[in-house]
Amino acid sequence: MLNQSPSDTLDRLVGLLPQSQTYATRHEREKVVLATQGSEDGLFDPSLPGLSVEERLCVALYACLLTPSPDLAAEYESRLQKLGANLQTILLIQKSDIQSIGNARLAAMLNFTRTLITKPINADKLALSALPEAGLSTPEVVTLAQLISFVSYQVRLAAGLRAMKALELSS
Amino acid sequence: MSTPIHIHGFTNDTLGWKAWLDVVQLAQATPAQMSVLEESHPKAKESDYYLFLVHQPEILRQRSLAFNAIMYAPGGLSRAERELASTVVSRINGCVYCASVHAQRFEQLAKRQDVIEQVFEQPNGAGTSDRERAIVDFSIELTLNPEHVNADSVKKLIDAGLQNSEVLDLIHSVAIFAWANRLMLNLGEPIFPSA
Repeated sequence: MLNQSPSDTLDRLVGLLPQSQTYATRHEREKVVLATQGSEDGLFDPSLPGLSVEERLCVALYACLLTPSPDLAAEYESRLQKLGANLQTILLIQKSDIQSIGNARLAAMLNFTRTLITKPINADKLALSALPEAGLSTPEVVTLAQLISFVSYQVRLAAGLRAMKALELSS
Repeated sequence: MSTPIHIHGFTNDTLGWKAWLDVVQLAQATPAQMSVLEESHPKAKESDYYLFLVHQPEILRQRSLAFNAIMYAPGGLSRAERELASTVVSRINGCVYCASVHAQRFEQLAKRQDVIEQVFEQPNGAGTSDRERAIVDFSIELTLNPEHVNADSVKKLIDAGLQNSEVLDLIHSVAIFAWANRLMLNLGEPIFPSA
């Protein structure tokens, strides 16, 4: 594991080592690797004003559970635990029992997450307007929409890379 | 020349898009916001989409870097095939706006629109060759069931003649439209040309 880049989430989660063909193929598109990690770093940057890091991680966890993407869900759950997040909230998200969270702002964000992840076509003006009604500013809405959409991208990238690695190992 | 397509609400017409919430006014944009707009797209300053996303300039900057590297980098999967994958994902997700833009780009690059008509009609099984059908099938599977994608899914692409580097470009093109479609579908709506 010595040569593995620890700062790249997808290399780490998919288990891509520099000597592997899939790693080499992925890193021929280094700009994509860097902008993917750069997007994640930007979206979870503690200095980004607006949504708290805990709120952002809750949204990412829920997005991964709904997709489903068990590996990325475990990753975001472990980041929530390291942050000392409310364990009851994590449990309720895992049970998809958003109503019982008892936090209207977080519930609005998680309901929006469910629409975007499971039925993006069902999104409409009404679904979006629930966010300002729950107190989110427009820049916060942008962060939230980018975050959910980024996770949709990240889980598919992880799934694709994992499949490439599996074929490499089988041949 | 491109012939107008109108199938199941999807089209290759040129559409507009308007945001449902307030966009950043250029006169009030910060220098950081202006520079991200300039990096993102030649027409970003006239586009509600970019003017809305630039409320968070650093996030937009990274997204545009990823998008442009995936869709426009030389080598690997042909640009027409990347556009085909983007159109399939947009059709599956129901993003009429994205589908129109990328259908047009496919037509410009490939000089034909037969497969676009097939994708709009019925994406499952669309494609004018084994290679195209493999690209379309994989795009649908990774969009709808990412957890089901496995070695066998990739093997079908290799058997249809794709190199590893082309498979990666295809994965990127599908994944980036999971991202783009969700923004376009959830933050505003397409504007259709008046009849």
